[in-house]
Amino acid sequence: MLGSENRNRRRRNIQKVAFGILWATATLNLLALVGFLLFIAVNGISAINWEFLSEMPRNAMTEGGILPTILGTLYLSLGAILVAFPIGVGTAIYLNEFARDGFWVRMIRQGVVNLAGVPSVVYGLFGLAFFVIIMKLGVSIIAGSLTLAAFILPLVIGSAEEALRAVPRNMRLASLALGATRWQTIYRVVLPPALPSMLTGLILGISRAAGETAPIMFTAAVFSTAKLPTSIFDEVMAMPYHIYVLATSGTNIEETRHLQYGTALLLLLIVVVLNLFAILLRNRLQKRYKSST
Amino acid sequence: MTRENDGFSQHISQQFNDELESLRTRLLEMGGLVEKQVYDAVTALIEADGKLAEKVRENDNATNAMERQIDEECMRILARRQPAASDLRLVVNISKIIVDLERIGDEASKIARRALQLIEEGQAPRGYVECRHIGYHVHKMVQQSLDSFARYDSRQALEVAQEDKIVDREYKTAMREMVTYMMEDPRSISRVLNILWVLRSLERVGDHARNVAEHVIHMVEGTNVRHLSLKRMAEEVGRSGRS
Amino acid sequence: MNTESTMNMQTSLPQTDKMTVSATTALPQTGDRLSMENETIKIQVNDLKLYYGNDQALKGIDMVIPERKVTAFIGPSGCGKSTLLRCFNRMNDLVDICRITGEVLIGGKNIYDRDVDVAELRRNVGMVFQKPNPFPKTIYENVAYGLRLQGVRSKRVLDEVVEQSLRSAALWDEVKDRLHDNAFGMSGGQQQRLVIARAIAIQPQVLLLDEPASALDPISTLKIEELINDLKDEYTIVIVTHNMQQAARVSDYTAFMYMGELIEFGDTNTLFTNPGRKQTEDYITGRYG
Repeated sequence: MLGSENRNRRRRNIQKVAFGILWATATLNLLALVGFLLFIAVNGISAINWEFLSEMPRNAMTEGGILPTILGTLYLSLGAILVAFPIGVGTAIYLNEFARDGFWVRMIRQGVVNLAGVPSVVYGLFGLAFFVIIMKLGVSIIAGSLTLAAFILPLVIGSAEEALRAVPRNMRLASLALGATRWQTIYRVVLPPALPSMLTGLILGISRAAGETAPIMFTAAVFSTAKLPTSIFDEVMAMPYHIYVLATSGTNIEETRHLQYGTALLLLLIVVVLNLFAILLRNRLQKRYKSST
Repeated sequence: MTRENDGFSQHISQQFNDELESLRTRLLEMGGLVEKQVYDAVTALIEADGKLAEKVRENDNATNAMERQIDEECMRILARRQPAASDLRLVVNISKIIVDLERIGDEASKIARRALQLIEEGQAPRGYVECRHIGYHVHKMVQQSLDSFARYDSRQALEVAQEDKIVDREYKTAMREMVTYMMEDPRSISRVLNILWVLRSLERVGDHARNVAEHVIHMVEGTNVRHLSLKRMAEEVGRSGRS
Repeated sequence: MNTESTMNMQTSLPQTDKMTVSATTALPQTGDRLSMENETIKIQVNDLKLYYGNDQALKGIDMVIPERKVTAFIGPSGCGKSTLLRCFNRMNDLVDICRITGEVLIGGKNIYDRDVDVAELRRNVGMVFQKPNPFPKTIYENVAYGLRLQGVRSKRVLDEVVEQSLRSAALWDEVKDRLHDNAFGMSGGQQQRLVIARAIAIQPQVLLLDEPASALDPISTLKIEELINDLKDEYTIVIVTHNMQQAARVSDYTAFMYMGELIEFGDTNTLFTNPGRKQTEDYITGRYG
């Protein structure tokens, strides 16, 4: 009896220690994130004001605002989404709804998985070689958008496929059994409940695209422009690249520190807001289609 | 006590309702026919009506056929519907009641045969009064037992069972009288024997009516009162009547 | 089952203008008591074999299914009864590794012919699944779905059909005040009746029910059974059930299947009171396995 009493106490103690360690690791994670955000915020908050958001940079980018970089990032992200979403969703629908499992489908799937693992700078180089040079698009919004689109495509395909898989199989069977064609079934039964999840993937894609530097540094973004872009063939400034430039090769790195932090904070805010929006959207729309047994 | 005899109109399955309802109706039909057979047989005997006796003999086939049909229907319902509780008791007891009814029909047919024989061989000198008395008595018992079935009335069924005791007594008295008479006048033995057979059949009809009544009690109260004394039977019926 | 021990009866089937039936059809029957003289044959299955990859799930099924009657398939799990049912609206087509030989004639037409439009076939042969599967739409839109597929837009027509179908499914009184609520708000039993309403809204000739009550409580089950009884005046109904009491309650004819073979086919009364084959007897009396 006594022995088992001791053993039990020992087991409880081990459990306490293990839980303690796990709790510490999780907390460390949170602390790091909070610390990082605070650091950026404290340093950057002073730079953010209306002028910062609405004016062109002045004096070799050591003064003034960052409007062109905000617009540039917006254009690039939008362009990337416009290209990636239809292609990604189309691919997902084909893979998930039409294709019979076989060599071809396995190859496409494997390709998508591998694409997701390719470093972003490789996309940048690919964009430079293919879109900028071979297709003669030059350093432009469209070249950058296409490169970013290629970069986020695996993400969009992945989230779209997941969304399609989340639609219960018996919905499809019900529709087909009522004499629907496969396309009618997809269009009327599968897509409506899958769309929210797809949109979530899309928004996550935007935030991903907005934050990337490497894919656009050779294809779309430039050091500095005198005017705002007027067509998709113009080159643009972009926030992540702007930070990079100010921090590494600006005219006066130390003096523009607060601008760098300001831009970084703004970029962070945009990404966080987009992510939050995605989560809210998913939760709201999911509720509507849940409750299916 | 009486229970609502349309208690099963509540089934979700309308078809099951219909089946049980039709089963009940067919049992009552058969009962009506059998009851009439008893009445006609006794009447044919007393009034020496050969035609009526012949008719009773012919009708026996009809009761036999009805028994077989109802029996098959019961089996079908048991196999397909798996009735429970009151439904189960209804179906099982119906399939027992029809056996007794069929036997009653057989006895009626036998009485009719004796009646024909008596018409052929000449009237028996004695016994008609007793036959009429007991005959109409057991006929009434059959009637009442069917009535108690139709109304789900276990009290009335209990009365039928009690009546059977009286019939048994009357039967014994009549027998003794007939035996005495045969000893007095041996020439009439063969004719009086016919009367004896009739009395015996009537007594059997009374027994079967009692059986039917007991089945009704089982069906209504859910307690099996077979082979219980009348006193115990009355207690069983009374107890559930109070609750 | 082997052919020698099967009672191969010569059944003369009524010749209808809709189909030609070979005069001698080998059917495993309950003795010589199966009479289809008074029935019109809706579905005829000839030597149907079905394989999943290398596994043979149906080993040469021959049977006929009468029109406007309820035919039940019973048998232990994996005996092929659901698979056979799914052959009647070609749901098995959706399984990649599934291969079929033989014929299934519905109204005289082999539904496995090349020129058959599967969507059209499924409009004529409706199906209700084991688990209620309404769409995440309103009650109204669920029932109207089949018509909308066919391009019906008229609100008057849709309203009429929706009401009529819900009435046929004994659901109208329960839902008439909330037609535009989401169907997921209904109880399981109501959902299953909704799904039946949805199926009959497009007026199929045949209704296939794949264990329609197995996910429901007893009361809902009885309601579904009562509904089946009402619907057989208009539709040929084939029901798969692992609940043989249910088969006994609802069906006119019953087929007992075992290991991908049709062991016995007969009218339900006879099959449940006096089956012709020992395997059937063992199964329905609970001696199987």
